[in-house]
Amino acid sequence: MKLRVNNAEVFIATGGKTFNPELPTVVFLHGSGLDHRSWALQTRWFAYHGYSVLAPDLPGHSLSSGAACESIEQSAEWLEQLLDEAGVKSAHIVGHSQGFLTALEFSKNNPGRVLSLTAIGTAAAIPVNQALIDTAKDSSAKAAHMMVNWGFGPSAHNGRSAVPGMQPIAIGRAIMSRNPLAADLQACADYKTGNDAISALGNIPACCILADKDKMTPIKAGLKLAENMGVNPMIIKGYGHMLPIEAPRKTLNALRNFISSVQIQVAA
Amino acid sequence: MSNSSFYKPSTIALHTGYSPEPQHGSRAVPIYQTTSFAFDDVSDAQSLFNVERGGHIYSRISNPTVAVLEQRLAALEGGTGAICTASGMSALYSTFTTLCSAGDHIVSSAQIYGSTATLLRHTLPRFNINTDFVPINNPEALRAAIKPNTKLVFCESISNPGMEVSNLPEIAKIANEMGVPVVVDATFATPALCRPIEHGANIVVHSVTKWIGGHGAAIGGAIIDGGNFDWGNGRFPEMTEPFAPYHGMRFWEEFGPNCFVMKVRSEAMRDLGPAMAPQNAFLILQGVETLSLRMKKHVENTKALRDWLLEQEAVTWVNHPELDTNDSCEVAKTLFPDGAGSMLCFGVAGGRAGGAAFINSVGLASHLANVGDSRTLVLHPGSTTHSRLTKEALEASGISEDLIRVSVGLEDIKDITSDFAKGLKAAVRVSE
Repeated sequence: MKLRVNNAEVFIATGGKTFNPELPTVVFLHGSGLDHRSWALQTRWFAYHGYSVLAPDLPGHSLSSGAACESIEQSAEWLEQLLDEAGVKSAHIVGHSQGFLTALEFSKNNPGRVLSLTAIGTAAAIPVNQALIDTAKDSSAKAAHMMVNWGFGPSAHNGRSAVPGMQPIAIGRAIMSRNPLAADLQACADYKTGNDAISALGNIPACCILADKDKMTPIKAGLKLAENMGVNPMIIKGYGHMLPIEAPRKTLNALRNFISSVQIQVAA
Repeated sequence: MSNSSFYKPSTIALHTGYSPEPQHGSRAVPIYQTTSFAFDDVSDAQSLFNVERGGHIYSRISNPTVAVLEQRLAALEGGTGAICTASGMSALYSTFTTLCSAGDHIVSSAQIYGSTATLLRHTLPRFNINTDFVPINNPEALRAAIKPNTKLVFCESISNPGMEVSNLPEIAKIANEMGVPVVVDATFATPALCRPIEHGANIVVHSVTKWIGGHGAAIGGAIIDGGNFDWGNGRFPEMTEPFAPYHGMRFWEEFGPNCFVMKVRSEAMRDLGPAMAPQNAFLILQGVETLSLRMKKHVENTKALRDWLLEQEAVTWVNHPELDTNDSCEVAKTLFPDGAGSMLCFGVAGGRAGGAAFINSVGLASHLANVGDSRTLVLHPGSTTHSRLTKEALEASGISEDLIRVSVGLEDIKDITSDFAKGLKAAVRVSE
């Protein structure tokens, strides 16, 4: 579906079902340079099992127009407006990598609108090498080349795919090469208040799904995030940073177990 | 390195898409000789049919052995995904019908394989899909032929049997600027010699029966998605509008860079059923594993045979893309730095009778209607495939009466030239 936020059109994948704000809503926020397709194999399950799904392309990414957000704080404000526009009062928020930073900042500002918060392949801060940002400013394609090399784990590097016949690294590269990677990476690098945001979360149910082969946000930082959030992390072994794409079924299983259990409590 | 992998091609050819499976640790890719795959439970079945997760349902649509070959070929070509089919022709038919509906239009190179020409010239027009044929390396002719209802530009990276190398960067620039994808049949090249996606092509098609399989043992085809075309440009409602058989799925929104192959899987493979047999996928995978080694030897033998033929009095002409006499020689040097394939044509003394005598006198070379075998293959169209045509009709097809087509094999070059010497001697006898 398409909505207008800040005078720009936003594309939002709804998991193959018409969006219904009356159902419990799950919001999926993609990582740097990526888009809603990161969540192709999670969103459809939720949409077909009693939830409504919103998986937007961030401004300026893939099917959304407008300029890319310049900071995590700006993207959190944008998310607030997006949920207003969609008529969503509260939602389960799921973020991968940079998407989690946006989810975190949004949750800090709007704790009453967050039914649960899930971090996937991420950390409270994502420092980015200046050389990578400079490369992305010069060419998203060149930066994407580095990102897919570090971002995907050994299984994807060996050309294995959860979807028969596909090549996840090439798909990730194609998406990232066309998106505003430099703005995304700069926003990640500039965001230093993640731990402050975590301390303001209060009693929001949280979940942390990490990959032991993650080179972009190494598991050491992920474990620290989980500790600060007060949750036991779920560690998916053998996969890299691009968990929703690399290990879609394991990521979905972890997500559905967590969100379903929270939803039972919400409904009660 | 390709778009899909950080490994080098010879490593991709051996490893990509498969690691020893956990149950038995089979090092070779297992043959999943099965029609169908058991669901865990009702929910599992629903999730597969709803495209909530990837996996195999029925071998007409996908199969684990075939999927390894698909992933390996996608990586070798630098694509986002691949589909393997029962033959090269079914790969072409599936590609054309995925992109075109009744009333749509194709622009094709005039120099293409005979069966492909028949498909475009006679079969598809029955479904109101019509083709204009152009000299593909003429930019003005190409630009002028593209209409508002044109859905693809088609060419062969090296044409069969004309040996014309398509100027892929120029063709892709023109077609893509006009909102049309370029489909390249790269059978004669293989990814070991030229990867069309790197030169701007959007879809690559192969008859893997030929050099990729390499041993003349199994028929198969492949379609590789370059992931580099904007299907949302307004020309392709097949990709952007709801697809009723899949709950109104919009492929471009859902899959983006791999939406073309996903559409082929969801429509052509399901509705038309041109599936590759798992046994054939296994046989072709054996060929893929040694592709880069074999192509080096194919090219080495081809150059040696070509140079030898040029010195023979009984040979009236030789055509190979690297020769200055070939119009696309300069393009070949740019796109094929490691050699422009292992096909060549030459004219033999004695015209049609000389050609027939040559064929009847060679012993090592096999006389048959295939190319890309490990063994040297020869064909004289004037006395076989095109024997009913007059000299004038032959020439209109770009084939002269004296033309011998050679697919150069991996035998010792001295044995090949010795065999050809016998054939040429027989041709000379006929011509005297």
